Amino acid sequence: MRKLRIIALPYLVWMIVLVLVPTLLILLLSITDLDIYNLGAFSFVSDGFAELSKPLVVEAMKNSLRLSLLATLICFLIGYPVAYYLANLKTSKKTMLITLFILPVWSNMLLRIIAWETLFFPNSILNMFGVSLNLIGSDLAILIGMTSMYLPFMTLPLYSVLEKMDHSLIEASKDLGASNVQTFFKVTLPLSLSGVVSGVIMTLLPSMTAFALPERLSGGKTLLIGNIIEDYFMKTSNINGGAMISIALMVVIILLFITVIHFDKEGETLI
Amino acid sequence: MEKKLVEISGLSKSFDDVEVLKDIHLYINENEFVTLLGPSGCGKTTLLRLIAGFEFADAGVITFDGRMLEELPPNKREINTVFQKYALFPHLNVYDNIAFGLKMKKMSKEAIEEEVKKALKLVKLEGFEGRNIKTLSGGQQQRIAIARAIVNKPKLLLLDEPLGALDLKLRQEMQYELKEMQRALGISFVFVTHDQEEALTMSDTVVVMNDGVIQQIGSPIDIYNEPKNKFTANFIGESNIIDGIMKKDFLVEFEGKEFACVDQGFEKEEPVDVVIRPEDIELKLSQGLINGVVDAITFKGVHYEIIVMVEDKEYIIHSTDPKEVGDKVSLHFEEEDIHVMVKSDA
Repeated sequence: MRKLRIIALPYLVWMIVLVLVPTLLILLLSITDLDIYNLGAFSFVSDGFAELSKPLVVEAMKNSLRLSLLATLICFLIGYPVAYYLANLKTSKKTMLITLFILPVWSNMLLRIIAWETLFFPNSILNMFGVSLNLIGSDLAILIGMTSMYLPFMTLPLYSVLEKMDHSLIEASKDLGASNVQTFFKVTLPLSLSGVVSGVIMTLLPSMTAFALPERLSGGKTLLIGNIIEDYFMKTSNINGGAMISIALMVVIILLFITVIHFDKEGETLI
Repeated sequence: MEKKLVEISGLSKSFDDVEVLKDIHLYINENEFVTLLGPSGCGKTTLLRLIAGFEFADAGVITFDGRMLEELPPNKREINTVFQKYALFPHLNVYDNIAFGLKMKKMSKEAIEEEVKKALKLVKLEGFEGRNIKTLSGGQQQRIAIARAIVNKPKLLLLDEPLGALDLKLRQEMQYELKEMQRALGISFVFVTHDQEEALTMSDTVVVMNDGVIQQIGSPIDIYNEPKNKFTANFIGESNIIDGIMKKDFLVEFEGKEFACVDQGFEKEEPVDVVIRPEDIELKLSQGLINGVVDAITFKGVHYEIIVMVEDKEYIIHSTDPKEVGDKVSLHFEEEDIHVMVKSDA
């Protein structure tokens, strides 16, 4: 084991430089008046806490929670049947369908968001077919965007768990008198919980922190917490306030994760 | 007369153009221990899965207790299965695994508790209720799988090579216990195995299968002593199978000599297969009707396995009396030890 440690070293350095240090820096920024462009003397301040209770921030946090939880739920409801179907396919079709499913992930996410945006405007290519979606600014636009962006991240962990599941367990359940529906809720779903938990985390995390997606698809009407943080840093240069909101977002996400992981008794989730 | 519980007639099944079962006719009586015996790929597991309802037949019918089984999905059949790899639910503990079927029947909590206790007692695992499935040994998992099935009081219990993963000692113990259980419960067992010893030890009736066709149905004694064809003779225990010609009733010729036998009903001069079991042949150091030379001798524990070459044909003999390699010996057997069968190509 000791020898193996050296293999992990590059990643460890990477994590320390690009994750741990910045996180600590944000933490520091949230409680001090430190100037990031001019590191030097600083003193502790508590102004940041006041930002958390501003109506705009509270509203954005609520929007983020509501929309990302909804998007995760929609992804689960669409993704589970798809994963189940894919997992039970015969091999020849399987590879092709899974490739089709992953394909969108290979193209740039921002491009895909802009593609949705152009479709959602009142005047779009869809007018050719006499359709005008006019969705920009609605929650629906954000939900469609999030669902289409993050669905593969829900489906793939579910697929890998369902594919490995021993089919004889399902037969055993029916053999013992359970109907198809009972078998699903008593056997299939509980046994795929680790996949559900990974899928939920993989979907919830990017949708909670999204800022490009809501910015493009809401037309500035619906603010998510990611947009607020961006504004604090980039537009109003309120570094201290932005850092504090970032920390608050991190806490909310960690709390969500703890709740989600609690459902996975086996602790097999790969985060 | 025994009452028929399951009647199978004209059953056929193919997977992707491969015929796995061909025109199967079979019945299972109430309170009968039936073994489906055959090499892997002979269709025995498919037949079991058809009875359980996990597969559907291409042709033929299965009736169970007078009802056509086709109309019933697996969860509505009064049949339970003990799966090959047990298929215990890993997310449930021992108690919840066994209680699974009873909960589906919406039994009261108290009744379930009592039944689970009884089932655990029957498989000799009292006090295991709270245990995690993953902490159990193979033998214990096997017992839980049996408990989970019989707690539902099925009329028919299907067992798909349930002893395959156990070591020899445990397997022999379980053979005995399963037989005991079947007697105590008074239900029918259909037991699938490729182990002929297992089949002979436990069964009331053995069904020998090969290539999707039933080769022979009979009691263990019949199957062993009166194999109907070369396949059965070879598969059930070791055999010497010799080309012969039936001269007339009760007289067969092989190795150029005529022998009195107990078989009849063949054509005159009909080519036949003659079976002599290794333990039925006695070796003498003097010359006799069939003479040969000892080629090899292996100690097998209870007996020696002696290979004797008669011209260029090998004979296997089991004897407690060792010989030396190179000994000139003669082969002796009684007329009832000669089993004559219809010639088969296999």
